Amino acid sequence: MKKRVLAILLALVLVLALAACSNGGSSGSGSSGDQSGEKVAITIFNSKMEIQDQMQEMAEEYSKEKGVDVEVYYSSDTVAAHLSTRYASNDPYTISMVDAKDIYSLAAEHAVDLSDQDWVKDTTQAIAIDGKTYGFPVCVEARGIIYNADAIKKATGADFDPTSIKTTADLKAIAEKVGTGVMKEDWSLAAHYLAEVYEQHDDPDAFIAGIKDGSIKLADDEKFNKMMDTFDVLKENNYAKDAAISAEREVTEQKLAEGEIGLMFGGNWDWSVLNAYDYSENMGMMPVPNDVDDGSSDKLVGGGSKYFFIDSSDNTSDAQRKAAKDFLNWLVYDEAGQDFIVNKCALVPAYSNITLAVQDPLGASVKKYADAGALIPNYNYLPDDHYAKCGAIFQKYLANEIDRAAFADEITEYWSTAEVGAH
Amino acid sequence: MKQNKLSYKIEQYLMFAGPGTALFLAVVIVPFVYGLYLTMTSWDGVSATKPFVWFENFAAAFSDGDYWAAMGRTVIYSIFAVVLINVVSFALAYLVTRGIKGQNFFRAGFFVPNLIGGIVLGYVWKFVFNRAFVAIFSSTSLLSTTEGAMFCLILVSVWQYAGYMMLIYVAGFMSVSKDVEEASRIDGCTSSQAMKNVTIPLMRSSFVQCIFLSITRCFVVYDVNLSLTNGEPFKSSTMAAMHVYNQAFTYKNYGLGQSEAVILFAVCAIVGVTQVLIGKRGEVEA
Repeated sequence: MKKRVLAILLALVLVLALAACSNGGSSGSGSSGDQSGEKVAITIFNSKMEIQDQMQEMAEEYSKEKGVDVEVYYSSDTVAAHLSTRYASNDPYTISMVDAKDIYSLAAEHAVDLSDQDWVKDTTQAIAIDGKTYGFPVCVEARGIIYNADAIKKATGADFDPTSIKTTADLKAIAEKVGTGVMKEDWSLAAHYLAEVYEQHDDPDAFIAGIKDGSIKLADDEKFNKMMDTFDVLKENNYAKDAAISAEREVTEQKLAEGEIGLMFGGNWDWSVLNAYDYSENMGMMPVPNDVDDGSSDKLVGGGSKYFFIDSSDNTSDAQRKAAKDFLNWLVYDEAGQDFIVNKCALVPAYSNITLAVQDPLGASVKKYADAGALIPNYNYLPDDHYAKCGAIFQKYLANEIDRAAFADEITEYWSTAEVGAH
Repeated sequence: MKQNKLSYKIEQYLMFAGPGTALFLAVVIVPFVYGLYLTMTSWDGVSATKPFVWFENFAAAFSDGDYWAAMGRTVIYSIFAVVLINVVSFALAYLVTRGIKGQNFFRAGFFVPNLIGGIVLGYVWKFVFNRAFVAIFSSTSLLSTTEGAMFCLILVSVWQYAGYMMLIYVAGFMSVSKDVEEASRIDGCTSSQAMKNVTIPLMRSSFVQCIFLSITRCFVVYDVNLSLTNGEPFKSSTMAAMHVYNQAFTYKNYGLGQSEAVILFAVCAIVGVTQVLIGKRGEVEA
């Protein structure tokens, strides 16, 4: 008798488990159609994890105010991989937030031409392919050296003026006194620092093509050598010099925020971590100084980061597309939308008409350089394995396993088989 | 109703094994066959078109130096980890079946690491290696050297799986009847002789099972690898499974990654099946 009760219970549990599964499966879909009802529903895919809460809050308010149902989704998957599964199941998002390089690979098949939109003239960061604008820049992010002015003042005794750092020697003088933090992550080394070597050439395409066909020897390239000189300054004065390869970025950022070190290569996105500590407000970003006289020591490297595109497939109705375009315009031209980007999400806006002051000091630096037109654009076409493979090579250089000549050789070797993305 | 009619048999099969078969087909066989198809395409994982290229991916996989380096590393890691896991778990099982005080508590304690997911476990140990040990011994982190990272991976895997395998060995110890051991003692065996000649041979199936499980798990290790070292320093601790993932999803060579996964599967299956066949040969049915 007891056994039978147990068996029935077990069966029930299994059935429930199955039912739960099928529920979970269907809840995600079913938001694509909705042409018949009077209320339009749009879906937004967010790939910026740190603003997911704000996005959801905003969606709720926007839905109430505009009568358009907005649902925000997030996935920790690789952006492209996640979107491909949504496209494979014919259930794409109305608006998707992706990285710049995804626009180049997805736009032709999946994105709506947004060239006729008002905001196009108010930004320099939109992505256009063959004259058609597909990508709506969500924010601006830039790379450079993050400094803690209070820590530097304490070490040198004088007020710190970031614009006074023009050469590698200037940086060295400060770095020796205040100490630096060096990134060890492959993406930071290869996708951000090494990429600056390409990006600071007038024509990165030609430079990379030159490395590929052997007409440019990386080891003899002036820019490469000068940038590596600057890197050596950071490396030599690294607080974790003996264990550079195991220094965690979070620890380095903590030390920078607390003033134990004064300089670190990074970007304004590092603020989300720096902000968690008892920081000094006197932080900012400055360009990576190098001894090539081309003005690059006065410019940060960066540009639009994260792009919205609107789905062009039959799964999205014209009404939905219209609502999606309205939403993008709301972000740029409505006070609430501007407030959302600048104040709620603490992002640096990519639009010249938005005049709200950026709150965080790193973002404020970026905005200053962006407004002055002193941003060297990102090179968005590096191969997908560039950051991992060249990052590993750069890590060896950081750990003193190889010297600069071997480093240049291995990077050249990498480029002998790699291909830049289509653009 | 005749019970040996085909329709009756099919009906009975569908009734009892039908749901299981359907699920198995849906979540194992179909993805596997589809995966085999993908090995013959140069799909990038995103695009709508999947160009068919026959066996080009396998040719590329065989000439992918990074892949075979990762594979070699996986084999070395597996050899160390499998031996250590089984030695440690057997010793633990022996200790907790001797009737010592609080042995149930110890059993539970040794098993706990297995309840923590590999990702969490990797981050916990990363903290231990990178901060705690560095602070205590004021040395550089073990994770910053090539050999050190490998050592850490093996250590954490042993710690993770030893408790689980211990349970199987405990079951093995319990299944060996006291009678035969006592009989051997009466015949003049010392306790170590009794262990070697009576208990261990009777526990052979436990060994076969534990070694099989540890081999297959070590060959496809991913979670600990990801959270503990993430392939660092300089990609020198990337295991085969991690390389496959990177190839397919990060470098966007889905077809190539898929064919490398199939090769990994084949290697893993050959090693596992060979081991089971050899192990089963001398098994004592008691």
